[in-house]
Amino acid sequence: MKGNSISKSLLSVLLGTSLLVGCSSGASNPSSTGAAPETNNAAPTESAGEFTAKIGGVFILSGSSAAYGEAQKKGLDLALEELNETNKGKLKIEIQYEDTGGKKESAINSVNKLINQDNVVAIIGPTLSGEMLAAGPVANEAETPIFGISNTVEGINDIGEFVFRNSLPESIAIPTAMKQAIEKKGSKTAAFIYAENDDFSVSGFQTMKKTAEEMGLQNLGETTFAIGDVDFSAQLTKIKQLNPDVLLVSALYKEGSMVVKKARELGINSLIVGGNGFNNPKVFEIAGPAAEGLIVATPFSPEKQDEKVQKFVKAFEAKYGSKPDQFAAQAYDSLYIMSQSLLAAGTADRNALRDELAKLKDFEGVSGKLSFDEGRNPIGDAVVVEAKDGKFVPFE
Amino acid sequence: MFLQQLVNGLTVGSTYSLIALGYTLIFGVLGIINMAHGQVFIFGSFVGLILMTSFDMPIAVAFIASIVVSGILGLILEFTAMRPLRKKNVPHLASLISTIGFATLLEEGMHKLFGADSRAFPDTVGSTSFQLGAVQIRAVDLIILGISIILMVVLHFWINKTKVGKAIRATAENTETASVLGINTNMVIVTTVVLASSLGGIAGMLIGMTYSALIPTMGMTLGFKGLAVLILGGVGSIPGAMICGLILGVIEVFTVAYGASSYRDAVAFGLIILILLIRPQGLFGRKA
Amino acid sequence: MDFLNPYNLQVITFIVLNCILAISIFITLATGQLSLGHAGFMSIGAYTSSILSKNADMPLFIAILAGALMAGLIALLIGAPTLKLHGLYLAIATLGFGEVVRVILLNMKITNGALGITGLKSLGTYLYDWEKMLGITAQSLGVTVPVIKSLSTLVFMLLLFLLILFLTLRLNSSRLGRAFEAIRADETAARAMGIQVNYYKMLAFIIGSVLAGLCGGLFAHITTAITPNDFNYHKVVEILSFAVIGGTEVVWGALFGAIALTTLPEVLRGLAEYKMIFYGAIMVLVMAVRPRGLIGSDTLQKLFRRNKKHNDQPKGVE
Repeated sequence: MKGNSISKSLLSVLLGTSLLVGCSSGASNPSSTGAAPETNNAAPTESAGEFTAKIGGVFILSGSSAAYGEAQKKGLDLALEELNETNKGKLKIEIQYEDTGGKKESAINSVNKLINQDNVVAIIGPTLSGEMLAAGPVANEAETPIFGISNTVEGINDIGEFVFRNSLPESIAIPTAMKQAIEKKGSKTAAFIYAENDDFSVSGFQTMKKTAEEMGLQNLGETTFAIGDVDFSAQLTKIKQLNPDVLLVSALYKEGSMVVKKARELGINSLIVGGNGFNNPKVFEIAGPAAEGLIVATPFSPEKQDEKVQKFVKAFEAKYGSKPDQFAAQAYDSLYIMSQSLLAAGTADRNALRDELAKLKDFEGVSGKLSFDEGRNPIGDAVVVEAKDGKFVPFE
Repeated sequence: MFLQQLVNGLTVGSTYSLIALGYTLIFGVLGIINMAHGQVFIFGSFVGLILMTSFDMPIAVAFIASIVVSGILGLILEFTAMRPLRKKNVPHLASLISTIGFATLLEEGMHKLFGADSRAFPDTVGSTSFQLGAVQIRAVDLIILGISIILMVVLHFWINKTKVGKAIRATAENTETASVLGINTNMVIVTTVVLASSLGGIAGMLIGMTYSALIPTMGMTLGFKGLAVLILGGVGSIPGAMICGLILGVIEVFTVAYGASSYRDAVAFGLIILILLIRPQGLFGRKA
Repeated sequence: MDFLNPYNLQVITFIVLNCILAISIFITLATGQLSLGHAGFMSIGAYTSSILSKNADMPLFIAILAGALMAGLIALLIGAPTLKLHGLYLAIATLGFGEVVRVILLNMKITNGALGITGLKSLGTYLYDWEKMLGITAQSLGVTVPVIKSLSTLVFMLLLFLLILFLTLRLNSSRLGRAFEAIRADETAARAMGIQVNYYKMLAFIIGSVLAGLCGGLFAHITTAITPNDFNYHKVVEILSFAVIGGTEVVWGALFGAIALTTLPEVLRGLAEYKMIFYGAIMVLVMAVRPRGLIGSDTLQKLFRRNKKHNDQPKGVE
């Protein structure tokens, strides 16, 4: 009994103190930041020639989707190292990271914190489209540029003037892949399978369906599964009976690879075309030889024979010991775009940066050429890749 | 296609039955629902899987590791989240909450230790498939169905015919009376929890073989299915868990095959709500 | 004035929202019932109010209110058959209910499936529109628009919270509250004393669900975008941990839990990725040493005996 009451009081004291600490630090922090948050300037230290720009990075660094955020952070860190080296004497970039855990409230809090407490000049992220739809309006209202690098659903740019992204909407990438693959194989019929509880996959499916209609493919059937599922036998048995020429899969690589594996195991011989979510080296770990022949549209492929891409892949491998995926590549590009626009603006001012970003034209990045149209929508080209011998190679 | 889908359903169903057995055992003895059961056995099977893929151990070693790790986790669960709640006059829902806490801890722990990705299960004997008329059956489908039935029969006899089983039943009936009669009830409870968790370890490995992959979040999703089976079959009934597991699997697969695949995950809990309305003691339960 | 930056205001707004959620689960727990469907009721409130305010152009407050009532109505339907059974069944039935609701939301056209409803008018914008009509603008107060919007949201939420807290305390000291307590202490004894146990349990369950629905509507119009995944099982565990860790005997316990558990991850941002591990561990720990939560009625009694001077402490807890 005695031991119990001691541990009880210990626990209460522990929680109590941490709460107190929380209150006091919460109250003192803002006053220490100095710069008045009411003014929109990021108030940088502008010495002769060199100026500093602080940029916020809002990613999922914990929870079940942390793998995506981690890749983005790696890409940014690599770009930061290189840029601060080449821009010496002109511009110094600092990045402050915030974790959202994939939660909307956290994304809103992070963006608010970066804008009002850390006085960043711009924000890169958040990882998920859903987070962007909640946090984007906050940044837009505070007139701070927010730059999505993995938000592919429709309508992101409609949030407002200060919202940008370099991630190609699925509506550009998917049709490119479908047209190239299907024209070559002469497919006539199609069946669909997608993750119905994931916004990215549903958005991808809608694009696939629309493109299939435009191309005159006969729709044999649609079926769904859920994120976290492991059993796809019922859905795929149904699809096997439909026997489509092409099977269109809109999913993230986790479940998508398992779908592909199971489909081949059941003896489905259709051509399989996947969305952006498949573009990850992990596909080969999970699906193994079943991945052979899988066709995917992507803005980035580490196998692309391009000097810039190969230099990036080498530097990334040297630093982290693994090949970069598109999340890392688009993060890497985003900081180069920021740096270019900041240098053009000549000052770390949010409005000036926004105007420069909006002017972006023909930027040559590792994930292809990029421009923004008047609606700040990204215009770029997608690469179509095919799985061959355990890696993605350009589709011919 | 009908026969093939029936086979698919039975395969899925036997994994549900295996999971539900663990819930049933613990509920039968302790009268509580162990919300951490799913996470416990997935944790165990992940350890087994990693031994196979990263250390090239044979599958037998992986099975043993999975059983042992799940058993140990069960032991920890008993000592941290269950036993302290038996000692005092605590609200009867406290154990539900503390096992939810334990489950959260394990699931996030898995994300940190093993990553959140799905992991492929290497091809084993189970992956060889053969054609039976129009139906394609894999060895693992038969193995998992066979093991579920064997385990059910063994458990049923063990509880009804052996001395230990008698002690378990006595404890389930009334813990205080049982301990007055000289039964070491704490020992009985520890045995049950460890046994249920170890059985989970076997189930987890078989599930990995069946679906050729494991994901940390499976603990939760499959755990929920097991929970549904527990209620459907009637809490504490071993044959009930077994049969309702198979029924649920078949209904789910048929929902996908002949209905709307997107409603699949609503089937299990929709059935629960239905059964609570019509026959609250479950299909095979006796009225309290 | 520095303290009034939108970040701090936003964090406090979420704390207040979680406090209302904590009260909602506290009221259900006050009769010894465990509802694992709170996220489900939240989603009903969130979706109902969002559809009404966005598609039907209804005034925001009426939409949020309608969402709360809708949650209550569904609670009535789901609670009636299960409340007669052992408490365990309610827990599982409500857990199942939450999952079924999520699947239905994913499949309906009007809820836009997994993509959810986005571009909602925020509570702050709505309140600011009113203030502008009254002649109060950001310029006249010398602050920026985001600040005044966040501030208005927070003030509104605080007032709402105080109202709910006041009603809860009134309820606790009323005949109803005493009946709740009797049921929690010993259901059989309460029945023997002539308390209509099922009626009161149902009432507590519905009040809790209405409040959860209200929080859903507020959540939707604070974050301006909702998807079914916002209301998954993790949300249930989070809400539950507020009350369970803080305390289920007095409302102050639940509130303490909500404040502590929302503030800590914000303060320890570097450790935020271990948040769920921390929640899980503390749930097990608290259940083992203090199954009725950190703050119980005895804690408050001790506190009051020691500090006799603090007579101005809130009433309603004896």
